[in-house]
Amino acid sequence: MHIAVCIKQILDPEISPRAFKIDPVRKAADPGTASLVIGPFDLNALEVAIQLKERHGGQVTALTLGSDKAKEALRRALAMGADQAVLIDETQVSAKEPSVTARVLAAAIRKLDPVDLVLTGRQSGEWDFGQVGALLAEELGMPFVPFVPRLDVAGNGLRLEREADGGVVVVEAPRPCVASVTNANDNVPRLPKVKDIMMANRKPITVYGPGELGLGAAEVGDEANRLEVLDLFIPEVKSECEFIEGEDGAEKGANLARKLVERKVI
Amino acid sequence: MHETPTREIFWNIRHIWLTYALLVPMVVAFALGVWNHVRRWRAGKPIERTDNWQERLRGFFVDAVGQDQLRSGDQQAGLFHILLSWGFVILFIGTTVVFIQADLRIPIMHGWFYLIFQSLILDVFGLGAIVGLAVALYRRYVAKVPRLTHGLWQDGFLLASMLIILITGFLVEGLRIVATSDPWGSWSPVGLATGRALAALGIREYGTQLAVHRFLWWFHMLVSYVFVGYIPFSKMMHLFTSPASIFTRNLQPKGRLEPLDVENTEVLGVKTLRDFDWKDLLDLDACTECGRCQAVCPAYAVGKPLNPKMLILDMRRQLTEEIGGVPWAKRELEPRPIIGTSIEPETLWSCTTCHACVTACPVEIEHVAKIVDLRRFQVMEEAELPETAQAAVQGIEDRGHPFRGAQASRRDWYADLPYVRELAQVGQAEYLFWVGCAVAFNERAQKIARAMAKIMHTAHLDFAVLGDEETCTGDPARRIGNEYLYEMMARQNIETLNNYGVKKIVTTCPHCFNTIKNEYPDFGGNYKVIHHSQLIRDLLAEGRLPLEPGKLQELEKVTYHDPCYLGRYNDEYDAPRAVVDALGVERVEMARSRQKGFCCGAGGGRYWMDDEPGKRINVERAREVATSGAQAVCTACPFCMLMMEDGLRTVATEQGTTERPVATRDLAELVAEALAEAAGAREGEAGAALGA
Ligand SMILES: Cc1cc2nc3c(=O)[nH]c(=O)nc-3n(C[C@H](O)[C@H](O)[C@H](O)COP(=O)(O)OP(=O)(O)OC[C@H]3O[C@@H](n4cnc5c(N)ncnc54)[C@H](O)[C@@H]3O)c2cc1C
Ligand code: SF4
Ligand code: SF4
Repeated sequence: MHIAVCIKQILDPEISPRAFKIDPVRKAADPGTASLVIGPFDLNALEVAIQLKERHGGQVTALTLGSDKAKEALRRALAMGADQAVLIDETQVSAKEPSVTARVLAAAIRKLDPVDLVLTGRQSGEWDFGQVGALLAEELGMPFVPFVPRLDVAGNGLRLEREADGGVVVVEAPRPCVASVTNANDNVPRLPKVKDIMMANRKPITVYGPGELGLGAAEVGDEANRLEVLDLFIPEVKSECEFIEGEDGAEKGANLARKLVERKVI
Repeated sequence: MHETPTREIFWNIRHIWLTYALLVPMVVAFALGVWNHVRRWRAGKPIERTDNWQERLRGFFVDAVGQDQLRSGDQQAGLFHILLSWGFVILFIGTTVVFIQADLRIPIMHGWFYLIFQSLILDVFGLGAIVGLAVALYRRYVAKVPRLTHGLWQDGFLLASMLIILITGFLVEGLRIVATSDPWGSWSPVGLATGRALAALGIREYGTQLAVHRFLWWFHMLVSYVFVGYIPFSKMMHLFTSPASIFTRNLQPKGRLEPLDVENTEVLGVKTLRDFDWKDLLDLDACTECGRCQAVCPAYAVGKPLNPKMLILDMRRQLTEEIGGVPWAKRELEPRPIIGTSIEPETLWSCTTCHACVTACPVEIEHVAKIVDLRRFQVMEEAELPETAQAAVQGIEDRGHPFRGAQASRRDWYADLPYVRELAQVGQAEYLFWVGCAVAFNERAQKIARAMAKIMHTAHLDFAVLGDEETCTGDPARRIGNEYLYEMMARQNIETLNNYGVKKIVTTCPHCFNTIKNEYPDFGGNYKVIHHSQLIRDLLAEGRLPLEPGKLQELEKVTYHDPCYLGRYNDEYDAPRAVVDALGVERVEMARSRQKGFCCGAGGGRYWMDDEPGKRINVERAREVATSGAQAVCTACPFCMLMMEDGLRTVATEQGTTERPVATRDLAELVAEALAEAAGAREGEAGAALGA
């Protein structure tokens, strides 16, 4: 069984809100000193893939479209238990919308050994489009199952759970297929062992440029992007703090209730 | 009557050859037993512990012979241990003198030497040993001292044997004195009194005296032989292992953990007993089961599943199971992982690395290094650690600090302090102010940095900070057991520091202080590292900090809480106290202070781990703070400060109020508050200098 997992290196979502800034020219987050991490749901996807490999054998390939720094993300994937890592160099790629990302990833996946399953995170940790998985399935001509916390082999196909509002939908899908993974108690990403981290540092990382994937400017250049970000800003949140006066608890309570009614909160 | 004072050896004893015949099994048993211990230690890995023998010998004389450490901990117990051990040593020398006279035929047992040493001193020390034994028995079986509740059966057997040896010794001596009407008898006062007492009890007949004497003489000798032969198989072996452990003790700075060559080591950390070095295994055998470590352990005190004494003894038992306690034991049982076999993971993770146990141990056993070695294996090879600790380590790796969800950035605390400059701007400065993650990211602790900056500014010091170029020193990762990450952080920081040519580093965090001072040299970082308490003490002494008397008026009494990593780790107890004393407040000491200071509960990565309610070390300490009579507790560590703030809140709740009974202030905050207005207003920045 061969599982491809798409992981994206993103700005640390835990950066303090006060340190978070937006570059108004690029209309993108200003990296500042924030570190780069793997998107949280992508880690869940990796964990699901590695667990599946542990149960049924096979191999896991981690791939990312990113800069040279994204090799760090791939190293972590290798340390967690991925067998191969593929970096698609983003310097010649303008992936401002998920369709371009999906196109590039699909081209890379076609270059791999035949896959049985492609996993993505439910949504990337920063732009939160939540589209790459579906678009990737479209590109690859495979069925797509979103929001999957867990899955397993069932006969020749796969049995996947999909989280739905207030319940779970269980589906069967043929191999190969694409699924986007959501977080659950049983797919908390594992902490790699130091031995594995060191081993990962010695493993090779395959690097492709778009040319090697047969993609030209028409497919991945600026003209391939149809969406344009017009504005990006941090919403201003105003908060006021008012102390409720009163001699004792009862009076304070009454005053609070009056104010809430005055402001039509209740 | 003899002309020169002496006595006839083996008077009344025939078949002396029997004593030599019995000597053989005794010596064989003893030698086999000792050899077995050596065999156990040789299962460990090599380590250099015989270098610098002058210093080792000095420690040997002070702590093994003089038992200095023993006395400094529990004075009463230490004193009686001296009586007992020195009693036996002197009596052993006395026996050796007899051997020299009888077998080597060197006539030394006469004259003043005979009277003063062989008679009087031996008698006095023998009596002292009896007193020591009596107290040891009393403390175990009557007073039931809590730290001595382990191995009572073996203790009873050993103490009783020694008592029998001593008493029969005096009986034998007394009978000889009265039977021979020894003219020098009064030089052996205890013996003489015993003899007279026996006579008074009816043993008056010469013949009876001879018979009883002969019986007791053989009895005394037999018990002594059996006892000596049994030494290596019992805890009495500490007679040899303790001095050996003291001699081969760690001479490195106490706060330094041994680096680990992560790239080239087969097993990272310690999995089985064989992954320890031989000194670690010697430690297991050297433990005297005295329980001093147990008595001072904060984790044990609040009921966590950790007892440093049992940690050592449980591993000793495993060593016995695997290698054998006797030389003919079936040897070389398959080595088993220590965690899960003799130590539970919860035990391992309960330790705050406060070093109280190591400091209290009279025989230089290194608990903390072993705990960290075991953690290293759990973390690096097994990836098994509490989730909360994992999150902290992950934070260090991902964003250079262990505080998940921190709202601030490293530059926030000085955003409005124009006199705090970054090295990137100024290029160089005499002092680098190393802020540390706790101080930079915690809003309460940021006030420490602001206060310290104000102090340095007031004293016209040329200082700068690293700002965003600072990252975690790696200390929490190292104490949690992730040596790999620690080394990465250390190397990265050292590169930054060396690039700026930093020479002097000031920090308010004892954890940063300890690791930069004692551990960074192993990775090529050599700086003069100064704790802020030391810098402030010096600035005050030089008159560079004008204080305004009476500014701290509402604080009549202040108590000082020793941070483990400043006190026990780096022996700095006086600088912070000198500063408090200079502030015009009365300093009151808590019962547990200085070397015996009680941990706040934050060290060793515990700050980030969950505490079961009711088993919180900081609350235990806060209760002590609350009863100290002080209006404020002065800390000198941001972690201690946060732990005290938190613990005192719990104490307030316990007392049914919302107001903490005692305020918590870092040393720098107190000094900044006490600075004279004019000084603080230098360049009109007083208001900005101390935020609140
Ligand atoms: C932790 C978190 C919590 C959130 N909580 C809430 C909430 O409580 N309420 C709320 O309203 N919203 C929340 N959101 C945001 C919200 O859900 C989104 O706005 C959204 O629905 C969609 O995601 P996506 O399009 O970014 O994914 P995409 O960008 O389409 O990415 C999906 C997946 O495709 C793959 N991928 C993408 N780019 C690459 C690449 N370059 N290389 C390799 N693989 C790639 C990755 O596997 C990725 O996970 C949260 C978001 C996050 C991250
Ligand atoms: S270091 Fe402190 S917490 Fe750890 S075992 Fe020793 S005394 Fe207990
Ligand atoms: S480890 Fe040291 S302090 Fe603890 S019981 Fe043993 S000898 Fe005593």
